[in-house]
Amino acid sequence: MNGAIKITLAASLLAGLAACGNTTGDDGDMGALGIATQTAGQILAQRRQSEQATAPAKSPQEAAAEALRVNPGPLIQAGFEGLGRTQIMAMTGQNGSMRTFMTPAEEALILRGGMLVGTRGLGHDLSVAEAQTEGMIRAGASGSGTRTMRYFAGDGIERPLQFTCTVGAGAKPGVTVENCEGHGTSFQNSYMVSGGQVAVSRQWIGPNLGYVTIQTLRP
Amino acid sequence: MRRSRTIRRLMATTLPAALLFGSVSSTAVADPMHGRNMSTYGLAGGIDTPTAETLPDGTLGATVSWSDYGRRSSVVFQALPRLTTVLRYSRVEGINDYRNDGYISDRSFDVRLQVLDEQGWRPAVAVGLQDFIGTGVYSGEYIVATKNVTPAVRVSAGLGWGTLAGKNRVIDSADEGGTFDAGDWFSGGAKPFASVSWQVNDKLSLVAEYSNDKYQADYRRRNGTIDHFQQGDDEPGNNLNLAAYYRFGNNYEAGLYSIGGETFGVQFSIALNPREAPYPSGLEKAPAPVRPRPAVAADPDGWSGVWAQDPTAQPAIQQALGKAMSDEGQILESMALTSNRAEVRLRNQRYISQAEAIGRTARLMTRALPPSVETFVITSTADGVPTSSVTVRRSDVERLENTEASQIATVAALTDAPSSAPGLVRTPDVYPRFRWSIKPYWDLGIFSAEDGLTNEVGAEARASYELMPGLFLTGALRQRAFGDIDQRGPGIPGQRGQHYTAEEYENDPSLETNDGIPRVRSDTRMYTGNHDPVIPELTLAYYAKPTETIYTRVTAGLLERAYGGVSGEVLWKPVNSPLAFGAEINRVRKRDFDQLFDFRDYEVTMGHVSAYYEFAQGFTAQLDVGKYLAGDKGATVTVTREFANGWRIGAYATKTDMSEEDFGEGSFDKGITLSIPLGWATGTATRERVSADLRSLSRDGGAQLNVNGRLYDRVRDSHSVKLYEGWGRFWR
Repeated sequence: MNGAIKITLAASLLAGLAACGNTTGDDGDMGALGIATQTAGQILAQRRQSEQATAPAKSPQEAAAEALRVNPGPLIQAGFEGLGRTQIMAMTGQNGSMRTFMTPAEEALILRGGMLVGTRGLGHDLSVAEAQTEGMIRAGASGSGTRTMRYFAGDGIERPLQFTCTVGAGAKPGVTVENCEGHGTSFQNSYMVSGGQVAVSRQWIGPNLGYVTIQTLRP
Repeated sequence: MRRSRTIRRLMATTLPAALLFGSVSSTAVADPMHGRNMSTYGLAGGIDTPTAETLPDGTLGATVSWSDYGRRSSVVFQALPRLTTVLRYSRVEGINDYRNDGYISDRSFDVRLQVLDEQGWRPAVAVGLQDFIGTGVYSGEYIVATKNVTPAVRVSAGLGWGTLAGKNRVIDSADEGGTFDAGDWFSGGAKPFASVSWQVNDKLSLVAEYSNDKYQADYRRRNGTIDHFQQGDDEPGNNLNLAAYYRFGNNYEAGLYSIGGETFGVQFSIALNPREAPYPSGLEKAPAPVRPRPAVAADPDGWSGVWAQDPTAQPAIQQALGKAMSDEGQILESMALTSNRAEVRLRNQRYISQAEAIGRTARLMTRALPPSVETFVITSTADGVPTSSVTVRRSDVERLENTEASQIATVAALTDAPSSAPGLVRTPDVYPRFRWSIKPYWDLGIFSAEDGLTNEVGAEARASYELMPGLFLTGALRQRAFGDIDQRGPGIPGQRGQHYTAEEYENDPSLETNDGIPRVRSDTRMYTGNHDPVIPELTLAYYAKPTETIYTRVTAGLLERAYGGVSGEVLWKPVNSPLAFGAEINRVRKRDFDQLFDFRDYEVTMGHVSAYYEFAQGFTAQLDVGKYLAGDKGATVTVTREFANGWRIGAYATKTDMSEEDFGEGSFDKGITLSIPLGWATGTATRERVSADLRSLSRDGGAQLNVNGRLYDRVRDSHSVKLYEGWGRFWR
């Protein structure tokens, strides 16, 4: 290319710094400054939030007791190992045997008879799990089957991961264990089943969030 | 049939699930050979020499590499899994042009195609063209093979031509650049080059290479003599280059290198992969779940449909549904309700993916509507105009909640939406709608050889008043606070580097044509540097839909910074068609440089016809043929790659009947557009984007009118290709 080239590039960047107004983003572009301030604001907010969260350290037992007192509906206690927090979740909807439980911040766990179907609002959500092993687990039987777990990849497309799972009795009495393998990884779900319902369980959400321990406080 | 094929195509999992795992599953899937470090030219490579490596598909990166030989700022895009493209702005030390600065500023493009990937004993092989548009300082071509010898050691060897063989091509000073000189490619004799890279650990890699580049340049002057230049101070002392690269975080890399043992350089790279979002599923709150209908015995009135006779039923339902939708970032514009069917018209204000807005609305409808309503019609709108309807049975929504998203896609019908439907009642208080904002703005001029980095900071107030669906009154007012983008006339013909002053230019209207060609953009700097308030935009726009597949727009007023007038557009885009046609005609007059209500003399009627096509894998193409601002006739080709998450990266080129001499440097207009959704970076649900248009603004040939609100992109969000691409978010 000619050495004496003259280039004038104009990138117009509208900054969101100290912006005000009532536009809602269906028509707005924001610039690098805007991103920087918004992201910084979010990080600050998260930090503040986490500081607040750690301040009144309520034990899970206390939290459970309080929730049972306040909320008359079905309740679970969920310990998210990947997020390092334990939360009480209340049922917000029921469609057949599928129940949606939410935290006060409207993060959701979707369970079918206690078995994890999906999560929402956690950033690395499980869209839907389809387990051929479901019947065996409920019946306390042994066997094997495939388990398909669907996730969003970063490009915005939902993709299935398929695992081969075997179900059998665990070391502890009353515990059914599901061992799954595929895509170079493996995980183990444990269920305590009573009357076809999973009362207590530790189930794998996905590669990023890891396991969640779910305890039924009120069925 | 056609629809389900589209769904299959779009939802098929063509990429390894490894994307979800990062490196965990690398044992299970054969890794493509991705580069470990960026070369000084800003693509995967050795130091100065290329390799056959690629970057992960879709990667967008930038590298600044600086040494005594110059500074190279490169933007790289992995356009296809095997195709790498680079745009580079360089400051090359040691070369004098008419400016007599001791350096030149140069723009160059590279492409690299990996023709074979590594398999068994076979190395990966790539062919590349460096600085290939016109003859330039870095022009060279190569064939290179790269092979992993051990998991940590990788070796590349190849043949290079041009600078890669130390035989730089003679550059013609009279050439305006910008055209292909394919005859020179792979000519002038080849020499071998080689590199070896050692991945010491996760972070550190060391590279050694044998390179033939002598860092020289030759120019053929107009009188036929050849000027010879040595870049930097000296030729490299030997052919051996060494480097160390350190990676930190997922996205950054810093490097130190030496060229020929005597010259040292530093470099810094950033790489973003659209597939690696921090929160791939988003952090938005969980949707309200489906509420199944009660048994008939529990609600006989609701099931019988007698409620529909009650005139107060619809307003109450509409109000409740509108409230619930607004909590989830949607506007319920209007609704038609009968005992067994409900149509809602929804304006999505929050989600990048229209399917998510539709899915959430469907669930809210199960919560708001009496049991006898079985058919849900969810019509998306853009700018007050309906763009498509999704019809779904309520029992399917109940039955398929939280299942694989393609199941609901196969039972839902996507159709063109008529502009109005019987029984449609507008939600009270939605119109007229007034929106406003006051924001700082920051205008940035980069890569200008004349001025270096310039910028301007100020405040912009913007308001939009939507009087009725589709009718918008929009205005903006800007006040500069400070900056160094000053008002200036265009360059003086025949005197490179010299410009008219603003006063000279404004007082002598004859300067507004240059050799018979009206200055339509080359005086763009006259519109900058205003210290008084300016009006960048003040328009009345009307969007309508005369038939189910035809959309129209009429915009009148001060359309953009430099032009005012009337702009009319029509677009044919059936909802399930990947093909669309459009036409636009504008009658515009040049605005005065104070950007208020005065005009200058130049007036033109211009416009184009357009064809649009949506290919597979997120590629779209657009062809515009018509007349441009300066009255020149020609065509623009635009190719854009977009991801389901909203990332868009495009390139365009315009060639008109204006001669290369009249057009000036670059020969034809070209540029790159980039748009990244904010939600991709932060996880929050928002339709806001960060966009950049990298283009040459100062040319008069192939200049387009910058009118806001062109139809295609607004209509397409809820049409088949884009809708099904993001359909996985229906149950989000």
